[in-house]
Amino acid sequence: MMQLLYRPHVHVEDFEAVAMPHFADLYRTAKWLAPNLTEAEDLIQEVYLEAWKSFHRFKSGTNCRAWLFQIMFHHVHHFRRKWTKESKLDPFDNLEQGTIAAEVPVPEEIKDEDILLALEKVPVEFREVVLLADVQEFSYKEVAQTIGIPVGTVMSRLSRARKLLRQALSGVARSYGIRTGRDDPAEVNRHE
Amino acid sequence: MNRINIECERTRRQLDAYLSNELLVETTSEILRHLEKCEACSQELASRMKVRDALRKVVLSQAPPDRLIEAVHQRLTEAQPSLWTTFHFPVWALAMASLVVVFGVFIGQQWLEVQRGRRMVAGVLTLGVSDHLHCAIRGHNYLDEGRPPDQLRERLGPAYAGLLNVVQQRLPRFQILEAHQCTVPGSPRKYVHFITSGQGTILSVILTKRNGESLPDGKSLVADASNGINLYKAHLEGMNVAGFEAKDYFGFVVSDLDQNAVLQTAAGLAPAIRSALPVGVAALESQEAPEIIEASLITNTSCDAR
Repeated sequence: MMQLLYRPHVHVEDFEAVAMPHFADLYRTAKWLAPNLTEAEDLIQEVYLEAWKSFHRFKSGTNCRAWLFQIMFHHVHHFRRKWTKESKLDPFDNLEQGTIAAEVPVPEEIKDEDILLALEKVPVEFREVVLLADVQEFSYKEVAQTIGIPVGTVMSRLSRARKLLRQALSGVARSYGIRTGRDDPAEVNRHE
Repeated sequence: MNRINIECERTRRQLDAYLSNELLVETTSEILRHLEKCEACSQELASRMKVRDALRKVVLSQAPPDRLIEAVHQRLTEAQPSLWTTFHFPVWALAMASLVVVFGVFIGQQWLEVQRGRRMVAGVLTLGVSDHLHCAIRGHNYLDEGRPPDQLRERLGPAYAGLLNVVQQRLPRFQILEAHQCTVPGSPRKYVHFITSGQGTILSVILTKRNGESLPDGKSLVADASNGINLYKAHLEGMNVAGFEAKDYFGFVVSDLDQNAVLQTAAGLAPAIRSALPVGVAALESQEAPEIIEASLITNTSCDAR
């Protein structure tokens, strides 16, 4: 198909040299945004193809990682309608909403599988913020630009996502019969 | 609620921003001071950091499968446009380029046409300038005090005698010193020549038969118009000349006056001369035939009228 704009000739190797170092970060995030691995892999492929097509608009020397994440979230928002039709499951329903406002004790030892399980229970709108801010270490401003929401919303979603994680971990710990170290109601309520 | 609890509440509200290193330096210092003396808040911070670090560790430990990396590389390679398609311009760009070329060719043709027209105009106006220079300026074929009107009419011949009054009326600031028919050496072309004096210089009004020639039409070539008669101008051999067509004749006003003065003089003369000129070349020639003296003047003296 004829390009709409004149595009100087760029080798795919040039693009890969700049974009592929961020492949793992994008994949790790995509896994938690898409409903399953197949969709996540499709998403990654679409992101890289779109980035390649738009590479002439990318300014050399700017933040390629942030640019790729922006492209990914553009696709995520586009695909989300389809994904939500296929999956009616809302992990938020499984959380104890009544305790969100309270401080939540977490287990002394956090196992990998526990935190992965907890992350699964966080609704995707909150999950995407915590992944960008806490895992990918984007600033609030960068998260806001990447997802396309105000910084204030980033702050509130991040705070809530962290609390949901702690709550889910606490629930996991209790299911194991593990003492969290702060199960004493008097200690928990001291700041309420 | 005591002071400790108030400080704890404030610290807890800002703990997430503190954890993300998004607080101002002053606020961070306040948080640190509180954490130093509040074990509960310190534990809460440690708890949140532990969850964040655990999350970061476990998520970052997940590596993409090699087959996915290969699949993306494959698709990128397939999507790599060929050299030809890469250098293709979009349709609109090609259309624009074509338009520019067509427009350029059109403009070029117009420019060539204008240049050709200007050469044609200059070629015609040169006739008047040549006669003015040869007969009036270099030849000085006039009496400085001028001639009486009757003599001038006689020298013009019956076909053109009527023009004398026209020229005089249209050039009230000029005195007609000479009026005759003349030729320029080396050319059979005949001129009806009025030599006038005024504004400190010599001005010629000259008529010559067109012999089927015409001045080119075109807005960029025409300097002015007077009663439907197009006027042309040029600066040739140090003289300003304005020319026009009047029936079967070219008319010229030539002088070293400024261009506008010459053009305005021609604008005033052209309609009157057109009206005064006899109709039909044949009729003129039949009237000229009996005037043997004027004819000999033209052929023999070549403006040597003195």
